[in-house]
Amino acid sequence: MTYGFYPGCAYKTEAVYKHSVEAVCRVIGLELVTINDWNCCGATSIFSLDQMDGLVLTGRIFALAARQKLDTIITTCNACYTTLRKASKTFKTEPELTRRVNERLAIEGLAITTLPPVRHLLDVWSHDIDEALWSRKRAANFKPMKVASYYGCQLTRPWADIDDPEHPQIMDNFIARLGYEPVEHGAKTVCCGASHFITYEDSCRTLCERIVNEIKRKGGQAISTLCPLCQINIDAVQEKQRGPSLPVPYFTQLAGLSLGLPPSILGMDKLLTPMQTAGLKF
Amino acid sequence: MDHSILQKRFFDHALGKKILSCIQCGTCSASCPLNENMDHAPREIFALIRDGHMEEVLRSNTPWFCVSCYNCMSRCPKEIPVTDIMYMLKQMATELGLAPKTHKMQDMYHIFHKDIERHGRVSAIHLMSRYGMKHPGDMLGKMSLGLQLFKKNRLEISPQKIKHPQHLACMLGEKAKK
Repeated sequence: MTYGFYPGCAYKTEAVYKHSVEAVCRVIGLELVTINDWNCCGATSIFSLDQMDGLVLTGRIFALAARQKLDTIITTCNACYTTLRKASKTFKTEPELTRRVNERLAIEGLAITTLPPVRHLLDVWSHDIDEALWSRKRAANFKPMKVASYYGCQLTRPWADIDDPEHPQIMDNFIARLGYEPVEHGAKTVCCGASHFITYEDSCRTLCERIVNEIKRKGGQAISTLCPLCQINIDAVQEKQRGPSLPVPYFTQLAGLSLGLPPSILGMDKLLTPMQTAGLKF
Repeated sequence: MDHSILQKRFFDHALGKKILSCIQCGTCSASCPLNENMDHAPREIFALIRDGHMEEVLRSNTPWFCVSCYNCMSRCPKEIPVTDIMYMLKQMATELGLAPKTHKMQDMYHIFHKDIERHGRVSAIHLMSRYGMKHPGDMLGKMSLGLQLFKKNRLEISPQKIKHPQHLACMLGEKAKK
């Protein structure tokens, strides 16, 4: 299976998402075709200052995808996911704005011609890959643990289509398919503060600690994430928190471990809180 | 600034008209993760706009504390796109030069915008170092985190770039309007 792929700015370096995404995709036979010369989607920052600039940035991504004839755009970041989906909705409903964006894109000979669906990788792995594949390929020495899924904000909101906006199940179900024991908790979609963590740390620290404490209370041994900003905030906040920390791996890293891939190629050593604290031995 | 002109401009926008159906239930304010930091929580913002206090609204820090969590928007019983209206208020305040200059998210957003204009993509280390020069106090507490990320090879010194950032820069902002 082949899909178009939008990596986003944090994917390769800060987030260390790339390793596990690529390693698992190879095993399950899913090919991601990266959009050539992709640019930043602008996230919440640019749309806060200038709508037109935000639409030009997202429009360029759609135009590049169209040039490569990609019929889906997969993202691994909640912010890219919602930014691209919102822009796509605008392009579909506002022809005059789209015309103006295309005027600017013409500088590079580009134009928005098609608007392929934007999907999160979790959605694709959950719905497009045979459910039985994950258990069939599970490593013989796989050690299950209690994993709490933390979804953050912009996967289910404002959309409420791939899952319930406040009490989603999609990652819990996926984690269970991998052999882990999902932990029910009440902080699945509580906001981590996103980029406000940089500017107003004290306020966001309270938000993040609420999430970590709730998961600890419910007996989680690790927190599964699906967004680079959620990952870093929830991982970093624990340094100054009392008590033992919980590791915060991506769902893609958990998938890799379940498939028996070596932790080094999944970027496990890049997590601030090592997986070993969850009682896992490598 | 003339309130009636500002108010007209707000209500001329399709999004603006949506707040006319607000029943002042306060679900948005109660759902907001950073409401304690705001001059006025979202419910009050809508009351102020309808009462004509448009300048106070545009000068308030409220929309700049919006984290785009979309809690308010997904819960609003009248289906008012609250988060989208916060974006609209930020854009309007920026355009009119009324945005509160002391709010740190503005510096963050402008630095982010500059990084895109220069490189087409954003690199955390550039963003953080530029922001840190403006707000060294905020960076002090993050030195240990920065060091850890650096040691783990999670920060790349050379910026990631698109092929022709200068072409993209021509499509953005003031340059594109000329």
